[in-house]
Amino acid sequence: MDGKTFYITKEKLKELKKEYEELLEFEHKKTTGEEAPKIFESEDLNPEFISFQEDIGFLRARIDEIRSILENYKLIKSPLKEKQCFVNLGAKVKVDIDGQKDEFIIVGTLEANPAIGKISNESPVGKALLGHKVGDIIVISSPVKTIYKIRNIKYEVN
Amino acid sequence: MKDIIKFFNEIGELRKVIRRGWILIGAKEPATVVDHSFRTAIMVWMLAADKKANLNMERVLKIALIHDICELYAGDMTPYDFHSILPKDPKKWPELFDKWPRFSKSKKIKSFVDKHEKEKESLLKLISSLPAKLKKEIFNLWLDYEKGLTKEGRFVKQVNRVETLLQALEYGRESKKQPYRSWWVGTEELVDDPILLNFIAELAKEFNKK
Repeated sequence: MDGKTFYITKEKLKELKKEYEELLEFEHKKTTGEEAPKIFESEDLNPEFISFQEDIGFLRARIDEIRSILENYKLIKSPLKEKQCFVNLGAKVKVDIDGQKDEFIIVGTLEANPAIGKISNESPVGKALLGHKVGDIIVISSPVKTIYKIRNIKYEVN
Repeated sequence: MKDIIKFFNEIGELRKVIRRGWILIGAKEPATVVDHSFRTAIMVWMLAADKKANLNMERVLKIALIHDICELYAGDMTPYDFHSILPKDPKKWPELFDKWPRFSKSKKIKSFVDKHEKEKESLLKLISSLPAKLKKEIFNLWLDYEKGLTKEGRFVKQVNRVETLLQALEYGRESKKQPYRSWWVGTEELVDDPILLNFIAELAKEFNKK
């Protein structure tokens, strides 16, 4: 992960900063023997932190991971108007794929989730679409041939 | 201890849960959730052993082992099971796998949320009798896998897809039928981990040798 730049949205940055602060507070309380924050005592199944209670090693690794992201991130922003005709991070791209219509948003690896249309800029398809404009035809053949034709590019990020 | 025995009995039943995709393509000996989880765990171990991965081995292995246990009650679902795209005639099902299914953004979100809720409910039912500590750990690991909260969760999610691609290629080779293009396409839209991209490139070479 050293030296890697993480491309994230403003929402993701906010989320990571919040998690980082909470984990630091938790680590401090855990190592000084103070009571854990109430959030960790809840009987509710807390999705993000509960397993850290027993695993201080993983807690520290997660703190390091977020710190590394916060030291090496770039916010995804809309490009200048004259560059908005090209696919870049943050672009909402409408495509024809072998005759079927689809729509992707190009995001960084931390926010990728193709099941809801968010494609990583580091995936073969995300990478291949970058830099192209409406009307371009991109052929991916590794090893089956798939043809992506760009129909529309739009930016909605701030 | 009784509760843990009950849980072990229940997850043993996963050996009877056949993976849906293999039913749809009409595989002769379709793999079960246990078959898939076992090989996913082995793949995760071997591939995450690369120092460049910088992953917590215990965590990735635990995630691999539990990532599909929710399918005991929820069943296995493929993208073809949503929005009524399956033809009534099962003979036509394998043809669908020539193309990855495409949906509008709203339909994608709806099927993602529906699947997530169904699987969450199933998982909570399955782990309900476990001691609180284990219950919380399993739920947390599953959420990590589902939402990609950590690099470990994201890695296993991608290995899950690569294992499925490998199985599809094996079925294609055995049956001498279509190579089932859709798994390649779906994989190329999901996988971005450098170790797994190398692995897929090797698979592609094998595939091209045919």
